Amino acid sequence: MRVSKKGDEIVLEFAEGESGVLRSLVDQYLEVVASEAGDDPSHARLFPAGYRDDDEAAAEFTRYTRSGLVDRKAANAAQVSLALDEETVRLSPDAAERWLPLLTDLRLVIADRLGIRADDDDVPETPAGEVYAWLGHLQESIIVLLEAP
Amino acid sequence: MQHMAVVAQLVERWLVVPDVAGSSPVGRPPIYLVRASSVTPDVAHDTSTSVEVAPDVPWVTIVWNDPVNLMSYVAYVFRTYFGFAKDEAERLMLLVHNEGRAVVATGPREEMERHTEAMHEYGLWATVAKASDG
Repeated sequence: MRVSKKGDEIVLEFAEGESGVLRSLVDQYLEVVASEAGDDPSHARLFPAGYRDDDEAAAEFTRYTRSGLVDRKAANAAQVSLALDEETVRLSPDAAERWLPLLTDLRLVIADRLGIRADDDDVPETPAGEVYAWLGHLQESIIVLLEAP
Repeated sequence: MQHMAVVAQLVERWLVVPDVAGSSPVGRPPIYLVRASSVTPDVAHDTSTSVEVAPDVPWVTIVWNDPVNLMSYVAYVFRTYFGFAKDEAERLMLLVHNEGRAVVATGPREEMERHTEAMHEYGLWATVAKASDG
């Protein structure tokens, strides 16, 4: 993968297979996000409680925010997924910004599956661990280039 | 990354937990048709409501440390969403990272809930609390 900036555009040049992996993850993410509340342990992190020590307020917060968050997260992911048909993806600054929350959410779900719960938990040297690090590298690159002159 | 094709096979359907894996695409809500909306940038203070608010507004939005989010992304969110200057965004990010949490906004409860919801949309871990608890 090579991430660069041409004019205002962020250009992602994926190596063979990379965009396919990403598309597969995004498709699965759409299922994870849309699954029933409580069906997936990663929901605790994708949709955290809005209050720490007040269960009633937390339940109320969830009631008012959950479906909107599900819709917006899913819509954003679906939008990003549309760009993944090509090995080279050119993104306007606005489009590039849409990738960032999705990359975080993908990492949150993978971290859940890998049992990464604390700052000093190791990322395992497995394919999933590699993908987790790769997504972080992609996100960091986009952030750096968005700010680059 | 090396061997991406191999990785592709391994991660296929791996994110989806077993009891969800069997679900048919037909059963999904029609989420693909929802128009994409990016997170709307916002500023920390809505001056139009300030006249109705007591000087010691009792609610805060707290962002908590997590092991997943990159420091650069947390600072980016603080700049983009709250409109903080680079130095202030960096200071708050480091507070989250080093102290485990930071108060990123203070104001009426409803506004703090709105900020918290926005943080969740960005994938950050945020909560609302009374200022005295924060």
